[in-house]
Amino acid sequence: MKRRPGIGGLQTAAAARNQYRILGENVAKIRTDLMKEQLATFRSQLEDFARKHKNDIRKNPTFRSQFHEMCAKVGVDPLASNKGFWAEMLGIGDFYYELGVQIVEICLATRPHNGGLINLQELCSLLGQKRKTAREAVSEDDCLRAISKLKVLGSGFEVISVGKKKLVRSVPTELNKDHNEILEVAQGQGYVTLEEVQRRLSWSAGRATDALETLLKASSCKSIGLFFFLFSSTEGLAMIDDGHSDGKRRYWFPCISSISSYVGS
Amino acid sequence: MGCTWCEISQLESLELYFSIHYNIDRQLRSNFTFHHCFDQIPQMSTRWLPAAQLTASGRPVFILGEVESSLLSGVDIEPDDQYPNLSPLKSGILILTTHRLIWISDSSSAFAIPLSAVTHIFSPKKSIKAMFASPRIRIQVLVSPQNGCLDEKGSKSMVITIVVRGKTDPEAFLGKLWEAWRGRAWETLKEESSSSTSTDEGSSRSGIRTRSAVVGVAGILRKEQEMWESTDKSLQDAFQDLNALMDKAKEMVMLAEKMRQKLLSGPSTQGTGTNDEEIGSKQEMQDWMLSVGIASPVTKESAGALYHQQLSRQLADFVKIPLEKAGGMISLIDIYCVFNRARGTELISPEDLLQACSIWEKIDVPVMLRKFDSGVMVIQNKSYSDEEVLARINALVLKPDSLRSGISASDAAMALGIAPAMAKEHLLTAESKGLLCRDISPDGFRFYVNLFGEILTEDIYLVKDYGTYGTWISAVLASR
Repeated sequence: MKRRPGIGGLQTAAAARNQYRILGENVAKIRTDLMKEQLATFRSQLEDFARKHKNDIRKNPTFRSQFHEMCAKVGVDPLASNKGFWAEMLGIGDFYYELGVQIVEICLATRPHNGGLINLQELCSLLGQKRKTAREAVSEDDCLRAISKLKVLGSGFEVISVGKKKLVRSVPTELNKDHNEILEVAQGQGYVTLEEVQRRLSWSAGRATDALETLLKASSCKSIGLFFFLFSSTEGLAMIDDGHSDGKRRYWFPCISSISSYVGS
Repeated sequence: MGCTWCEISQLESLELYFSIHYNIDRQLRSNFTFHHCFDQIPQMSTRWLPAAQLTASGRPVFILGEVESSLLSGVDIEPDDQYPNLSPLKSGILILTTHRLIWISDSSSAFAIPLSAVTHIFSPKKSIKAMFASPRIRIQVLVSPQNGCLDEKGSKSMVITIVVRGKTDPEAFLGKLWEAWRGRAWETLKEESSSSTSTDEGSSRSGIRTRSAVVGVAGILRKEQEMWESTDKSLQDAFQDLNALMDKAKEMVMLAEKMRQKLLSGPSTQGTGTNDEEIGSKQEMQDWMLSVGIASPVTKESAGALYHQQLSRQLADFVKIPLEKAGGMISLIDIYCVFNRARGTELISPEDLLQACSIWEKIDVPVMLRKFDSGVMVIQNKSYSDEEVLARINALVLKPDSLRSGISASDAAMALGIAPAMAKEHLLTAESKGLLCRDISPDGFRFYVNLFGEILTEDIYLVKDYGTYGTWISAVLASR
C-alpha cells in the first residue's frame, strides 16, 4: 500500500481502513458461528454421554466431579434418565426424582414473574424445552406424580384446580411476600380493587386473584350492604365489599393503621 | 498466642528453651518467634500431624481439585514406637480423598496426612492374631528427624498404624488408598501448571520459527483456522468413548471454561422466542450453580454407615448461602432442588433430605428445621430464632403509636419484612408467651403490649415509676 500525498492519499487510506473493518467483522462472524457450532457439538456429546454412561460416571468420584463441571460450564443438564417401564408402573428409579428437581428449578426461575403460581401446562412446556434431548416427552400426569413425591417435604407445593385449569403454587403462604405488596397498595385508601392491584404491581389476573383470595381465606366474610360486619372469625386480613354502585369488588384492609383511612375510632 | 505444635503459651515455651540453654534478657525474648519442638525437651505432643480445616458443621474443607473417596469410622491413628513422645489419636472418623487422609475427632479437631508424604503402604499382615484383632493398615511416612512431626520434605521415615475399630471393610478401603496414592493427584496439579506454561512458550516459539514467512492478515487467519481445527480434533478424540473422555477430562474442562467465557462476552443467544428475562435469570442461576457446586457430594458409597450424618453436615454447610439470599428462611422444597442441583447426578431422595434435617437436632449446627401448622416446612437460621423476633416485636409494640392503637399482623409484617401469615404466627406466639394481649374488634385483630403483669390486684391505679404502665398512660394521654 503506497502512501500517496494529498487528498487522494487520505481517501485511499480511508478505503483501506474500511476494507480491514469489513474483513474484521467477517472474521468475527465466522468465529462466532464456528464457536456456536463447536459448543453445540460439545453439548450434544455431553448429553449423550450423560445418558449412556450414567452409572459409570457415578462410580468414579474424581471423573464425576470433572464431568459435572463440564456440564455446568457449558449449560448441559446432566439429569437425563429415561422413564422406563418400571418407573412408570411402580414409580421407582431416578426418573421422577430428576423430574421433581427440574420442576422446582423452573418454579424458582419463574417465581419473580408469576409470584410462585404457574399454570401446569406452561410448566410442562418449559420442562419439555429443558429436556429436548430426552426420548419421550413429559406429560402432565408425570409432572403431577413428580410433585406428589415431594409431599414428604411438607406442603410447600400445591396443585390447585381453577375450573379446568390446574395451577401449581410453589410459594407457601408463610413465605409469600406478594401479600405485603398488596398491603402497601392498600395503604393509600384502605382498600384495593383487582384492577388496581394488577395495574400498580404489573401482575397477571391469576396472580392477583390468588393473592387476594388468600388474604381473605378462612374468614367467612361476605358483607351485607356496607362494609362493617361483625363476624369475628379472625383469620383473614381482608373483607369483601360488593355493595358499590360500579359493581367492582373491593377488598378492605381494616388492619392498615394509616391515619387517613382510620374510620371510626 | 501459642506454639502451634503444643499448647504451651509462647512465653512459657521461650522460657523453657532459654532457661535450659541460655540466659537472655527478658526483653530480647519477645523478639524471638519459633516453636520449641526443635530442642530435645521431651513433651507429649499431639500435634505431630498437620492440622486440617473444618467447616462450621464439622465437614473437612477441601482444597481445589480434592475429591472425597471413602470414609471409615472408629479409627485410631498410632505413631511408631521409636517416637514415644507422640500421642496417638483415638476414635475418630477417617476420610480418604485424592490428596489426603483426614482424621476428624468427635471434639471437632482434625488432622491430615498428605498422601505426598506417604512413601509406602504395607500389605496387611495375615496372622491368627490379626484375625481377631481390629484390622490395621500400616503406612510409612516422611517425618522430620528431630521430633517425629510429619514433614513432606523430611529425611527420616516412620510407620503409622491406622487401627479400624468400626464396622467397616478395611480391604476395600486399602484398595482405594492404593488407588488414591498411585493417582498422585497433587503432583498432576503442579505438573499441569508448569507444563501448560511451557507448552505455550514452546508452541509460540516453534510457531515463530516455522511460520516466520507468513505474516500479516493471512497469518492471523491461518492461525485462527488452525486453532479451530485442533479444537475440533480434540473434541472428536475425547468423545470417542468413556475412557478417552476420562483421560482428556481436564482438557475438556478447560475447553468448556473457554467456551463459556466467549459465550458470555460475545453476542447473546440463539434468538429463541421466549422472554429475554427468563433466559437472563437462567444464566444467572447457572452461574450461581457453578459457584456453589459440590465437588465431593456425600454418597452411600463414599460414606457407608455414616451416610446420613455426613450428609446432614454437608447440607448444613451448603444451606448457609441460600439462606442468606432468601433472608433467613427458605422452604424445604426449594433447598431440595438447589442441593440436588449442586450435587449433579448424585440425587438424594426427599426422604433422605428430611432425615438429614432431623439429625441436625443432635449435632451442633447453626441451622434448624421448622414445621408450621399448615404443614409447610422451612429451614431457618438458629439465630433467626423466636427470641430475636420476639425482641423486635417487643420494640415495635412499645412505640407510642402502638401503645395507643396496637399493632396488627400487617403492621408487624411490614415492620419485620416478612409475609403477613408469618407475622401473625409470630404475634400469636408472643401472645402465648405473655408478651402481648389481643384485641378483637370490628376493625380486626390487634395486639397491645401486656400490662397486666404490672398491675397489682390490690391497688389497680398504682403506677410504678419504672415499667411500661407509665409509658402507656402518657402515650394515651398525649393523643387526647
